[in-house]
Amino acid sequence: MSTPIGSDVARVDGRLKVTGAARYTADHPVDRAAAAHVVVSAIARGRVRAMHVDEARRQPGVIAVYTPLAPLPIHAVPGFGENYAPLQDREVRFRGQIIGLVVAETAEQARDAAAQVTVEYEEAPARTSLSAGLPGLPSPGMSPDGPSPDPTLLAPGVDTIDDALRASAVVVETTVEQEAQSHVAMEPHGITAVWQGDDLTVYSGSQAPQMYAMLLATRIGIPSDRVRVVSPFVGGGFGSRVPVWSEAALAAVAARELARPVRLALTREQSIVLSGHRPMMTQRVRLGADRDGTLNAVSHESAAELPAVGGWPEIPATETTGVLYRTRNLAIDQRLVTMDTPPTWAMRAPNEAPGAFALETAMDELAVALDMDPLELRLRNYTTTVPSSGQAWTSKRLDECYRIGAERFGWEDRDPVPGSRVDGDWLIGVGMASAVYPAHAEPWPVRMQLRDSGTVVVSASTPDIGTGTYTVASIVASDALGVPIERVTAELGDSALPASAPAAGSRAAGALAPAIQSTSRVLIAALLDLAVRTEGSPFRGLDPSALTYREGRVEAGADSASFAELLGMARLPAVEATTPVAEPSAAQLAAHGFGAHFCEVRVNRFTGEPRVSRFTSAFDVGRVLSARTARSQFVGAVVFGIGGALLEANPVEESGRFAAGNLGDYLVAVNADVPPIDVTWLDYSDTAFSATGARGLGELGTVGSAAAVGNAVFNATGIRVRDLPITLDKLIGRGETSALHRV
Amino acid sequence: MRPYDFTRPRSVGAALGDAHEGSAFLAGGTTLVDLMKLELMTPSRVVDINRLPLRGITVDRGGLHVGALERMSDVADHQDVRSRYPMISQALELSASPQIRNMASMGGNLLQRTRCGYFRDLTTACNKREPGSGCAALTGHSRMHAVLGTSDACVATHPSDVAVALVALDARVHLESLREKRTVALADFYRLPGHTPQVENELRAGELLTGLTVPPLPWASRSAYLKIRDRRSYEFALASVAVALDLDLDRGTIRDARVAAGGVGTRPWRLEAVERALVGRPAALATYEAAAAPAGEDARTLPHNMFKPALLRRTLVRALVALGGRS
Repeated sequence: MSTPIGSDVARVDGRLKVTGAARYTADHPVDRAAAAHVVVSAIARGRVRAMHVDEARRQPGVIAVYTPLAPLPIHAVPGFGENYAPLQDREVRFRGQIIGLVVAETAEQARDAAAQVTVEYEEAPARTSLSAGLPGLPSPGMSPDGPSPDPTLLAPGVDTIDDALRASAVVVETTVEQEAQSHVAMEPHGITAVWQGDDLTVYSGSQAPQMYAMLLATRIGIPSDRVRVVSPFVGGGFGSRVPVWSEAALAAVAARELARPVRLALTREQSIVLSGHRPMMTQRVRLGADRDGTLNAVSHESAAELPAVGGWPEIPATETTGVLYRTRNLAIDQRLVTMDTPPTWAMRAPNEAPGAFALETAMDELAVALDMDPLELRLRNYTTTVPSSGQAWTSKRLDECYRIGAERFGWEDRDPVPGSRVDGDWLIGVGMASAVYPAHAEPWPVRMQLRDSGTVVVSASTPDIGTGTYTVASIVASDALGVPIERVTAELGDSALPASAPAAGSRAAGALAPAIQSTSRVLIAALLDLAVRTEGSPFRGLDPSALTYREGRVEAGADSASFAELLGMARLPAVEATTPVAEPSAAQLAAHGFGAHFCEVRVNRFTGEPRVSRFTSAFDVGRVLSARTARSQFVGAVVFGIGGALLEANPVEESGRFAAGNLGDYLVAVNADVPPIDVTWLDYSDTAFSATGARGLGELGTVGSAAAVGNAVFNATGIRVRDLPITLDKLIGRGETSALHRV
Repeated sequence: MRPYDFTRPRSVGAALGDAHEGSAFLAGGTTLVDLMKLELMTPSRVVDINRLPLRGITVDRGGLHVGALERMSDVADHQDVRSRYPMISQALELSASPQIRNMASMGGNLLQRTRCGYFRDLTTACNKREPGSGCAALTGHSRMHAVLGTSDACVATHPSDVAVALVALDARVHLESLREKRTVALADFYRLPGHTPQVENELRAGELLTGLTVPPLPWASRSAYLKIRDRRSYEFALASVAVALDLDLDRGTIRDARVAAGGVGTRPWRLEAVERALVGRPAALATYEAAAAPAGEDARTLPHNMFKPALLRRTLVRALVALGGRS
């Protein structure tokens, strides 16, 4: 049997999804479930003076109305996600905060009744402007105990980064800005909470069911082993399903109070406010270089929104500017601005996508200032060790990505003079950028079984958030045990399964694959042991080392039996193994995925709208386990980058309101905005990273893709748009100094 | 959504009889159902008019006649519409999504409510939704809002694409009540917001829009609808123009022109000054630029839509170049 690893296997859950048999949060049938709908605040900051709920209570089907004056007891869990709990006091901390919960017999009744709740507020001034809050406070980074997120590297004799910049032959300074962005996963957020005695079962789309169970238990004040989170299918996460948001805790407690299951589905508008967003931020990158392009000084400063109610401590520079290019002097300063806005949370390449937009735009500007090919500039500053720490990488072949990507794209045909390529009324430009994203070599366990039905079962709490984890797990198990993929079943997305990697930080596949491989070896040993112990087995009494395992069968000499047959003889339903404890890796190596993006855009000379017409990306992620789902992730990530570059923005108004609070106003790319995307990858095993050599890849393509678009827009028009998204108004507004038609 | 009565009459008379104060007619439902879910419209009765005989797409000496219940996709796809009035087909096909176009009726399209985000958000001030409450758009995010025909009370953009083409073509709408039938020019049908933005058109209480007529205009076969937006599909216009040119190909001049704009006005915006500046002139870039120059001169912009007058002029020039040629 040839290995299925890296081949183009169809998604093993594809049929379930396209036939509607896959069950998402609101699909799980639950008897007697009541429906809940949240009531949200219409002011950004202040206090609830009064809530009038009598009319709502009188509506047909209404079971209960909870408010700060008639609360449900839940707790805040500071330190991760939101740091407050709604309904426990009268404070309003952001616009759209939950201030009430209506439970009724049907979702429609709950929604109607919720609309009839009226609220009186005492309004207080709200901090809704990022610029008003500058410069902000230093970011603690994700782990207060870890290394500083703001590494500094100064050459001997250099006192400050400003000195180093002043001493550089060529200096560019770029300030980029972006509004909040929303995850808008296809499945809106929701939960169904079912109690049986003191045990709570929760159906909810989660990227980390184990952590969900723990956090939810803390929020509602019960031991975490009393909570089971079932999340077999998740309609997209992009980070928004890593924390447990308040509505889940309220629904769980309401179900306990009412002694019946409660189902709560947020509307799209509520999901956008209550389930996190990428923070708005401003970044300044200064690059100082020698005439030949060698970087002498790199400075990256950022200031990002951090809501008072908690959220993501944005550090856009650490894993981008901190790792990408060799430089003699490096300074990073990342700050956070406290605001009265809805909670922020990680959104696909949360730090790296914004950070790379800043850095890779600045690199393009430097290339222009040097009159140098931007690709050549990147090769000139190529680094084989992490600049700030001197660490080597498990593997880095970014140079090959540049070469292969450039070749496939036809980069050498580029004309460096902006506006020099025209097709009818369309200006054509090309741009490139680098991608980098950290990889996590963490030991996470799985459980595997050989069953008497002839089936191999892989079990892990890790959910498949649409990325292809079912398929990847099946492929790796099929390879490790030599059984056809049709005979492998992956059980995923349930906190009752062995606690394994969360589907976050692009770590699931890279963690599950080595665990499946090592567990398979234990499982084979257990099978061989069973084979020599089982009465009636042809191998009984032999030394297990005399047996061989091959493609689901145990063999010795002329004797051969399948594992199903052996289990039958042993009258056992299954033989089982869990992942052995891994030796911690001794080598202190850095691990990242890398990539190179090449983009062609067309900008209309008259009306200025930018359209992406070609996109090529080449990636270095070590081994690719599943070609089809990997490609889907790469392409999807580039689409994310196109959306971020051209469309996606959710400005927060002075009132604290999201200006694009629904899918009509918050624009994500549609098919017509996306040309065929050419992705390729180097295929090799990064054995210094893990036994499997696969580094994880879900977020990588999001990094740098927006900068490649922006750089192409510059090449097409001569206009550098530094505030995202790059929309036509920002181009025609500068029509007088560009290749655009002068009207 | 609040509870409501539901009727499904089979005749116009019965539908008009079923209507009362606080009722709403339901055709495709692509606006009404949305707004009912938001509880922005809370009709006590919904009169489903889909069984009414308001169908038919016909062309005769009087022009093009379209029943109010014809679906956008069917009108767009009609061979006579395509060949005689390309701008109508194009405006329809650049609207919404295929699913919505398959549901939405022509009458409903002309009567659809604005997409102003404040109109649709019950937590904000909106004079159109709640007269006298104020206009949140004036101090809010105004990038999509109108710059022509606005007032201090309302800056909501008229959302329809096809209405722009129809205004350029002097289309008329047919209205029927229990008392009378009447016909109104579409350009006069829409009202400017003024102090009463809640009154959007000439439709009276208890009146039903039954159909529309587009007068014959043989040279409208050379017409186009150009829609400019951030996203390539499924978005309302930042600016759009419907242009028809009657070209004298021998002399290379423009005999006649029809021009209207969308995405910039509180109603579909006919640009008669642009038309006049085109007529009798050479079909050339310089003509288009000169003709477009005054468009939007009287615009009243807000902080986020200051680009719209320039975009309107650029959209006009681009459409004219595409339709009339460069020289």
